[in-house]
Amino acid sequence: MSDDLNIKKSSKIKTKSSSVSGGGTDIDYVRPAELPEQDLYHGHSFITKWIFCQDAKVIGIQYTLTAVFTGVVGLILSWMMRMQLGFPELFPFLTAESYYQFVTMHGMIMVVYLLTALFLGGFGNYLIPLMVGARDMVFPYVNMLSYWMFFVAVVVLMASFFVPGGPTGSGWTLYPPQAILEGTPGSEYGILLMLISLSLFVIGFTMGGLNYVITILQARTRGMTLMRMPLTIWGIFTATVLALLAFPALLVSSIMMTLDKVLGTSFFMPTIIKAGELLSYDGGSPILFQHLFWFFGHPEVYIVALPAFGIVSDLISVHSRKNIFGYRMMVWAIVIIGALSFFVWAHHMYVSGMTPWFGFFFATTTLIIAVPTALKVYNWILTLWRGNIRLNTVMLFCLGFILTFVNGGITGIFLGNVVVDVPLSDTYFVIAHFHMVMGIAPLMVIFGAIYHWYPLITGRFLDEKLGKWHFWTTFLGAYSIYFPMHYLGFIGVPRRYFEMYDSPYVTSAVGMNEFISVAAFIVGAAQFIFFFNVVRSLRLGKRAEKNPWKANSLEWLTPSMPPEHGNFGKELPVVHRWAYDYNVPGAKKDYITQTTPPSEVLGAEVEKT
Amino acid sequence: MTDPTLDKLPDGFKGMSSDMGSDQTTFKGVNWGKAMMWIFLLSDTFVFSCFLVAYMKVRASVTEPWPYPSEVFGLEVGGVPVPLLLIAIMTFVLITSSGTMALAVKFGYEKNRKMCGLFVLLTAIGGLTFVGMQAFEWSKLIFHDGVRPWGNPFGAEQFGAFFFMITGFHGTHVSIGVIFLFIFARKVFRGDFDTGRRGYFTTMKSNYVAIEILGLYWHFVDLVWVFIFAFFYLW
Amino acid sequence: MNDTKKEQSTTHKIGIYLWIWGLLFVLSFFSYMVDWYNFQGLLRWSLILIFMFLKAGLIMAFFMHLFWERYALVNVLLWPMTAIAGFLCLMIAEGKYTVFTRLFYFFTGG
Repeated sequence: MSDDLNIKKSSKIKTKSSSVSGGGTDIDYVRPAELPEQDLYHGHSFITKWIFCQDAKVIGIQYTLTAVFTGVVGLILSWMMRMQLGFPELFPFLTAESYYQFVTMHGMIMVVYLLTALFLGGFGNYLIPLMVGARDMVFPYVNMLSYWMFFVAVVVLMASFFVPGGPTGSGWTLYPPQAILEGTPGSEYGILLMLISLSLFVIGFTMGGLNYVITILQARTRGMTLMRMPLTIWGIFTATVLALLAFPALLVSSIMMTLDKVLGTSFFMPTIIKAGELLSYDGGSPILFQHLFWFFGHPEVYIVALPAFGIVSDLISVHSRKNIFGYRMMVWAIVIIGALSFFVWAHHMYVSGMTPWFGFFFATTTLIIAVPTALKVYNWILTLWRGNIRLNTVMLFCLGFILTFVNGGITGIFLGNVVVDVPLSDTYFVIAHFHMVMGIAPLMVIFGAIYHWYPLITGRFLDEKLGKWHFWTTFLGAYSIYFPMHYLGFIGVPRRYFEMYDSPYVTSAVGMNEFISVAAFIVGAAQFIFFFNVVRSLRLGKRAEKNPWKANSLEWLTPSMPPEHGNFGKELPVVHRWAYDYNVPGAKKDYITQTTPPSEVLGAEVEKT
Repeated sequence: MTDPTLDKLPDGFKGMSSDMGSDQTTFKGVNWGKAMMWIFLLSDTFVFSCFLVAYMKVRASVTEPWPYPSEVFGLEVGGVPVPLLLIAIMTFVLITSSGTMALAVKFGYEKNRKMCGLFVLLTAIGGLTFVGMQAFEWSKLIFHDGVRPWGNPFGAEQFGAFFFMITGFHGTHVSIGVIFLFIFARKVFRGDFDTGRRGYFTTMKSNYVAIEILGLYWHFVDLVWVFIFAFFYLW
Repeated sequence: MNDTKKEQSTTHKIGIYLWIWGLLFVLSFFSYMVDWYNFQGLLRWSLILIFMFLKAGLIMAFFMHLFWERYALVNVLLWPMTAIAGFLCLMIAEGKYTVFTRLFYFFTGG
């Protein structure tokens, strides 16, 4: 052990009593900087400052805006689907083909282009350098390329609406053989554009993801150990690692399916007789695609969920003025969920005709992964327990997240068991489950996070009154949509059916379907309250002073707010503690920022971090 | 060894826990670019692994016989069939270029401009030879043997599909590597790494670490070939 | 980019590279010989795998300097391979099952 490290250790000692006298330099010691200052490129013109910009904060906003744009497209598509399901044959342009195309595009847009891009590209870019105390991402130029690659991917995806045959209608999982066979909508050009867009997304994301990982691992500021990072960063970090390891499977399956389509190879295509005629395909393995897809697809669920877990932990801690319960447990839970997520994928495939033995294995791993997830829920609740809760919009969204997440998580445990899953497979129960757990729950966090960090980004608050309207309509509306769907699933209404026609479902489900549709229109419309709020508050919002929420983490401690390029002015901050010292017994204020040296809070009984 | 504290770090698992618990950097003394290349290679490993796993799964489940690669890839030398001759030579070339790259990295550390540049250039030529031989191999298979991605005269049609896809993906990696090797050979000879000249696109200062990063990529390409050689040609 | 930093003990004697280089040639030659002598069955597969892993290990350990890297990096790089190993093993089982069902329904006619 070097002397440096020993001294550092002693600086971590609880500065509990006045036994450490005088606040000498000793207890405030932090190792000197290992690395020289980062070399930054400062934009000069409008183009280099706002368009081809290398500043992670601007890139984060670009990512967010693009992702939200795709999200609005996805929202409109869901309206059309609900229109058809609730009030069939009302609009003649809603044909079975277009319905399937809407289903497909809605799913892909929401999962990949909205949630993944928004959490990692948007929040990741904006928050990582600020929260770990770096001036920027380690490779700003590559980061810029990453955004523009994503932009091209979105353009290609949107272009598929305008090609002959329209976008692909094979369902968001794109299962072959039907995805590329005649008869599926968009099997000529739509599917190709989808696969190309996904490949571009993967390439673009890899460039960004490498930046996030290396910034977190190698560019933290002095004193910022891994176990002092805010949980937001832990969530985004683990999700990025998952993305870097899971997206290759998507890339590979995209490439192979493209070859099947374009060159007529038979990777995924078995021998097929179509209309009495033998196609040239022979001997491929459709189930291989499902395995590859879900080897990507299940980690993808956690790519969306883990940043949400991290962010919500921070929001709950700040707005209930209490340290997060079991910080280390939370970190390990995130890491363990991330690691296990590579061993659970085939629980999406119980009815696919895979080896029957897999059911046992994957049901077991699925139930194991529920353990760390449940731990996190307990810890959020225990953080709230006897906290000094501010019931503002941010906190409301956090509470909404916990409820929807627990709800969706519990139905997930149902579906993780083979015997329960088999009858519920491909019913509305599944729809309700995953919309609750990875649709509504992460969206709740996104909204909470935007209400929380909007003052940092713009210097103004979002309007609270509109925010509460937004929350209650979204929350109650989302429950009105998805709660009845559980029931629809139990009575056996199948998913992905364009219309029920004269089946017995019609009589028992028609009223409920109409109710769900009306709720969906209202919830969708409520989001425009939010957009209005965001735009209006840019100019008219209440001005925010520095660190308006009295939070501890570094992003609020920049010399100017909103932070400038380079984030921290002349000197990088030095970190002395974790981000959760709220209401510490013996401290004068109810929060101790991460940069407060121990000598300034000698009497406080802070946690040892 | 500019940072004196790095000499005193503990080694082994003790070192690992102290690195993980430390502030600022987790990989002590590892340059940002090098760390990034490593993580990229990890991600790329998953790409190639997925290719190979898919290949294995399909090969295990086809009912038609899989072509015997030893014969398909054999060459006739003076009327005598030699199995896998071209592949053996390609392996030889790629390992040679990997060796020269290792030496280039070594001379890069020593800031030996001429030797470093020379070995980078040799590596690039080796890579180019490999790509050329692969082009020959492809054209022989396509035009002489009639192997196509959608079918071949030897057996299961996925043979051609996987062959062209996997070697094509690997060949693309090699080609990208060759392009960068030539660019960096020029940079070395021009003395960019001695003067710390700024890059054209990124405006970042050049450094000999770049050669090591390039070396990592090149060795990775060789590494992938080891697996392709074993699983595709020998299996 | 942080440009002044260098790895510890950056230079190694040239001999070690030449040794590894030579070993790689020898191992490649051996694995080629597996095909030359036309070994079949378990012997062939195990020999192929042994030579493959030896070569891969040498390249990673010495050419890519992993042997000299700190454990933090080595562990971060190698542990994710368990996901690949798991995927591989499960796909072996799946491949066997697929071929079984194909042959079964081929002969029984579904």
